[in-house]
Amino acid sequence: MDGFIKLSNFSKVVPYMSMFREGLMVTILMSVFTVLIGFVLALILALMRMSNVCPFHFLSTDKDGRLRDGGFLLALSRFNPLSFLATAYVEILRSTPVIVQIFIIYYGVFGMIDLPKVTLLGYIKFDRFFPGVVALGMNSGAYLCEIIRSGLQSVDGGQTEASRSLGLSSSQTMRFIILPQAIRNILPAIANEFVVIIKESAITYTIGVQDIMSAVNAVKGATFIIMEPLLVATAIYFCLCFPTSKLIAYFERRMSRGSKR
Amino acid sequence: MAASVNSLIQVRDLKKHYNKGTIKALDGVSVDIEKGDVMVVIGPSGSGKSTFLRSLNLMEEPTGGSIVFDGQDITKKKIRNAEGKLVKLNIDQYRQKMGMVFQHFNLFPHMTILDNMTLAPIQVKHMDKAEAEAKALALLDRVGLKDRAGAYPIQLSGGQKQRVAIVRALAMEPQVMLFDEPTSALDPEMVGEVLDVMKQLAREGMTMVVVTHEMGFAREVGNRMLFMADGKLLEEGTPEELFSNPQHPRLQDFLSKVL
Repeated sequence: MDGFIKLSNFSKVVPYMSMFREGLMVTILMSVFTVLIGFVLALILALMRMSNVCPFHFLSTDKDGRLRDGGFLLALSRFNPLSFLATAYVEILRSTPVIVQIFIIYYGVFGMIDLPKVTLLGYIKFDRFFPGVVALGMNSGAYLCEIIRSGLQSVDGGQTEASRSLGLSSSQTMRFIILPQAIRNILPAIANEFVVIIKESAITYTIGVQDIMSAVNAVKGATFIIMEPLLVATAIYFCLCFPTSKLIAYFERRMSRGSKR
Repeated sequence: MAASVNSLIQVRDLKKHYNKGTIKALDGVSVDIEKGDVMVVIGPSGSGKSTFLRSLNLMEEPTGGSIVFDGQDITKKKIRNAEGKLVKLNIDQYRQKMGMVFQHFNLFPHMTILDNMTLAPIQVKHMDKAEAEAKALALLDRVGLKDRAGAYPIQLSGGQKQRVAIVRALAMEPQVMLFDEPTSALDPEMVGEVLDVMKQLAREGMTMVVVTHEMGFAREVGNRMLFMADGKLLEEGTPEELFSNPQHPRLQDFLSKVL
């Protein structure tokens, strides 16, 4: 196994092309499901973080029913357990390596749960694929949560004030004023997260998900060549990610037109 | 203060303290706003005049004192209803009767001018769409912007945006209009067109509270004037009295700088 790239070695890779094709499908499917799980999770987390569930809220006012001007009771009245849990989740997931998370999910959580050993589409091993998607989805949920939250908070505070001063309630303000403006800011970032996940999903070959990277490994094991299959994988990943990100940038430019104040 | 029973808004000992009272943005302001008043609030920056104005519709939550509007102390978070049960005060109900105009216009950029104006009448007052639009167009016509009804805020000049912001608030038929430095963010040549709309509004008898640096406007249109500094109301009177015969040294000092 030497590092020099030989044209003849590429012909040795050709018989394994179907593995790359299947790997490509696995990578794409995994990314799609990851973004879906991640988005739903992120939406829940973002709503939790921005929620106003304060069980000790009654402590915020004094006996005359007026707002306190400081102190421990005011701080306690603002404690929001939902927000605390969501923040803890996001910070832990963002402060630990994704490979550690994947191993914990695969060996720890799904080590205790017996998944059906079924094979989907003839080549997707469900008991590997599913833990991989769950782990990646949980990870990207933490990142997407911050994207959604910052998108909502990027809407100028004057918008809320104007809306509330007209007598609209906080939920009407969210629905008619904040969300429509925030979604415009959020969508490109979510699409970019999709590209990030396509690349990041390569790491799931470590738990035996048969994606593009695992095809490289298979070729290496069978033929003892490494550079050529790696280059094939590089080309596939590039052809997947580069046009996608260019497409996103195009739509981002189109959407930002006319939305500036 | 016996006459104050009929005041539109009664403000008593209004306080806004931060950090356990070490910072006092508002420190005991009491004033009665009568129906038809055009009350101009002046003062150096940081004097609490914006905080005072923004407290009137609870954009800022005061930490003390009371604001009685429409027969209700709106600083209370909970009130007793007709059956004597303690219920949450619905502040939206009172806010819709107070129009507010901001320094930075705060039009909704994702909606047309017409939609900006009809959103609250339709959603809050449950007016039907055709009626709300007819009303909005009539209001736009009054400020000379009927032909821009289908435009987006970005397509308008600053002065036009502020005129739309004023009629957007008027579309809710408020009992009082609050203006928070409505001309401060405008280019000088656009100040006049906004002040003209406000003057017209004053002539029609609208109750207005205006925080402004436009001394000419204050003198010409205001019938009452407040001078604030350090969160306190230092002097009150007609604009004529305050301009020609200021009593408090802070006001004398302030006027010497701005006039």
